[in-house]
Amino acid sequence: MLANYFPVLLFIAIGIVMGVVLLTAGRVIGPSRPNKEKNSPYECGFEAFEDARMKFDVRYYLVAILFIIFDLEITFLVPWAVVLDTISPAAYIAMALFLFILVIGFIYEWKKGALEWE
Amino acid sequence: MDNLHLATPEIFMLFASCAVLVVDLFLKPGQRHMTYWLTQGSLLITLLLTYGQVGDTAGTAFSGAYTVDGMSAVLKSWILLIAIGGFVYTRDYIKDREIANGEYYVLGLFGVMGMMIMTSSNNLLTIYLGLELLALSLYAMVALYRSNADASEAAMKYFVLGALASGMLLYGMSMVYGSTGSLDLATISQALTTSDAGSTGARFGLTFIIVGLAFKLGAVPFHMWVPDVYDGAPTSVTLYISTAPKIAAFAMIIRLLVDGLEVLSSDWTLMFAILAALSLVVGNLLAIAQQNIKRMLAYSTISHVGFLLLGMVAANPEGYSASMFYAITYAFTTLAAFGVLLVLSRNGEEAVMLDDLSGLFRRNALAATVMMVALISLAGVPPLVGFYAKLSVLKAVISAGYVWLAVIAVIMSVVGAFYYLRAIKMMFFDDPVDSSEVPARMDVNATLAVNGLAVVVLGIFPGWIMAVCVRAFAG
Amino acid sequence: MSFQLFIFYVFAIIMVFAAARVITVRNPVYAAMFLVLTFFTAAAIWMLLEAEFLAVTLVLVYVGAVMVLFLFVVMMLDINVEPLREGFVKYLPVGILVGSIMFLEMVFLLTQRYFPSENFPAPAAKPANYSNTEELGRLLYSDYLFHFEVAALILMVAIVAAIALTMRRRSDTKYQRPGLQVQVKKEDRLRVVSMDTESKS
Repeated sequence: MLANYFPVLLFIAIGIVMGVVLLTAGRVIGPSRPNKEKNSPYECGFEAFEDARMKFDVRYYLVAILFIIFDLEITFLVPWAVVLDTISPAAYIAMALFLFILVIGFIYEWKKGALEWE
Repeated sequence: MDNLHLATPEIFMLFASCAVLVVDLFLKPGQRHMTYWLTQGSLLITLLLTYGQVGDTAGTAFSGAYTVDGMSAVLKSWILLIAIGGFVYTRDYIKDREIANGEYYVLGLFGVMGMMIMTSSNNLLTIYLGLELLALSLYAMVALYRSNADASEAAMKYFVLGALASGMLLYGMSMVYGSTGSLDLATISQALTTSDAGSTGARFGLTFIIVGLAFKLGAVPFHMWVPDVYDGAPTSVTLYISTAPKIAAFAMIIRLLVDGLEVLSSDWTLMFAILAALSLVVGNLLAIAQQNIKRMLAYSTISHVGFLLLGMVAANPEGYSASMFYAITYAFTTLAAFGVLLVLSRNGEEAVMLDDLSGLFRRNALAATVMMVALISLAGVPPLVGFYAKLSVLKAVISAGYVWLAVIAVIMSVVGAFYYLRAIKMMFFDDPVDSSEVPARMDVNATLAVNGLAVVVLGIFPGWIMAVCVRAFAG
Repeated sequence: MSFQLFIFYVFAIIMVFAAARVITVRNPVYAAMFLVLTFFTAAAIWMLLEAEFLAVTLVLVYVGAVMVLFLFVVMMLDINVEPLREGFVKYLPVGILVGSIMFLEMVFLLTQRYFPSENFPAPAAKPANYSNTEELGRLLYSDYLFHFEVAALILMVAIVAAIALTMRRRSDTKYQRPGLQVQVKKEDRLRVVSMDTESKS
């Protein structure tokens, strides 16, 4: 079975080699004459106003966590879909129930306004 | 799907919780009390469905993942009953503090469902998922009081240590699974009995499982989170955490260690003996030093967890049923104590210091009497129910040959009586700091009265619950 | 050493290195990136164990979704890194002591005598047409139905908890209401002023 994934391994290896070769080539061949002005942080031509690390709004976090939950839901759907032709009716109903529970969660999200950006 | 009817209570509760969540979304601000009544209604119907299973119903469903037996139906009924009582006490507290109303009840319902799944589990994975369902609901409930910084801090501590404990438990379970090749508790037990091959791996896993359990229960030396969480959480959530989940935790111990790993009981009895002795000593001694009543009750919980584990040390049906009796009676006695605290925490004030109790008898005679009954019972004074619970645990421990543990337990109970009696003295003989009356709603008063009465009456006639507990482990 | 074992060691070494960097690197964003590398190499090792579905899931869910969340959290917290390092030297000896005791205990327990590897034989390699996803689906939706539904409940609790804990209605935000926008009549917005025509002066 693992032999099926040999191309993936080759792909990773070639990707790494390409990345390393191109970056080193650029570094070795390209001219590098740094000065103070070139190395200073650049913000649309101004001096930098503040530290790059600033607080994100908590809503980004909310969106990310909701994304994870529905990502997981999809993950459960994949093996179910693969064996759809062989499984029992109970498995069918089980997935319906699973989706029902998460739809309730989705209604909650929608109604609470968690999906609106304001 | 065979035997699906066994899971009727859980299935009903699943749909009921979803209904509560959705209905709450569409309620207008003035109709918010509907959520409360729907919650209580669904708990009540689930209780009736569960109570119908007490007795002869037994069997497994969902390919052996879920089981109903003598123990599960009884414990689930108590969990539901205590949850109903807890929500009666809680109602005004969360309304006063504007804690998100609907979410609180829905998370409470999901937590109860987690406890029921833990109690009915027959499989390592079911236990773990039930526990996580309960724990996630609890973390969120602690943090729900967002305007309070203490609650957020408590939620953080609870979450980090709870996650650590879950990790330990899961690691232990994976070792047991790896060495016996099954998640099913009966198969694990059989694999360990018939061959010695996996027993070292199972012992290795057992150690982690016990550490995880001790963390979740708050047994010394894994008790650090208990006082902080009890103190920082809103009192209503402290009530929730300290009552029904203790029964579920007991069920989890029975499932994991008796149903699954009883073959290794020679290993875990000694671990439990140490945990129990340390919990009894540390819990009772540190409780004396507390000025904050929630912290005092937290340390008192630690000492009672010691007693609960004491019954398990006996590792025979007598000890298990004594522990079961202890868990049930402890849960509803503590329910009464925290119920009184919630009555006192009115109009945005919190009753947290011992001084807040002083002169309570002159401010609200019923609350003071119920509190007295609960505290005396927790101290283990006859004829209240706490006395009989302690007695039966001690009997089981002594007949199993651990006299030194029983001696420690008795000495520490006497030490513990001091701080309970000090609180009672303050309520009845000290002058109140604030002499205004403490009113309570009709239903809260009625529940308090029934709850207090149960502590007294079941203390005089313990035979009824005891018989049920004995039957749960017979055969 | 077989080719498969060689691949395993390559990924395992990268993984251990990345995991170590997660807790030693100073910048939390770099730490999150090293965690991505750890997850990715772990996925490769799972693939070597022939758990293809889990390996793909690890990349999709953990690398794709969870790490995005981590990066948000790391940025949202606005951590000043320096205070985190305080007391590092003070706790180091205790940490090393506890760590090495645990390590020795593990070695003691896991050595051949106490934990014989013949009890845990390696499974035979699967044929090329073997589908791990199918096997998983067949088990998950028959024997593990109950757990599957409880997992849905846990996800639901996560939704409720996440929204209840983070949603804040702001009174000062401005947002559009399309419903009201389309209902606007001419009279609401347009005022026709009649005035005398002006003559050229």
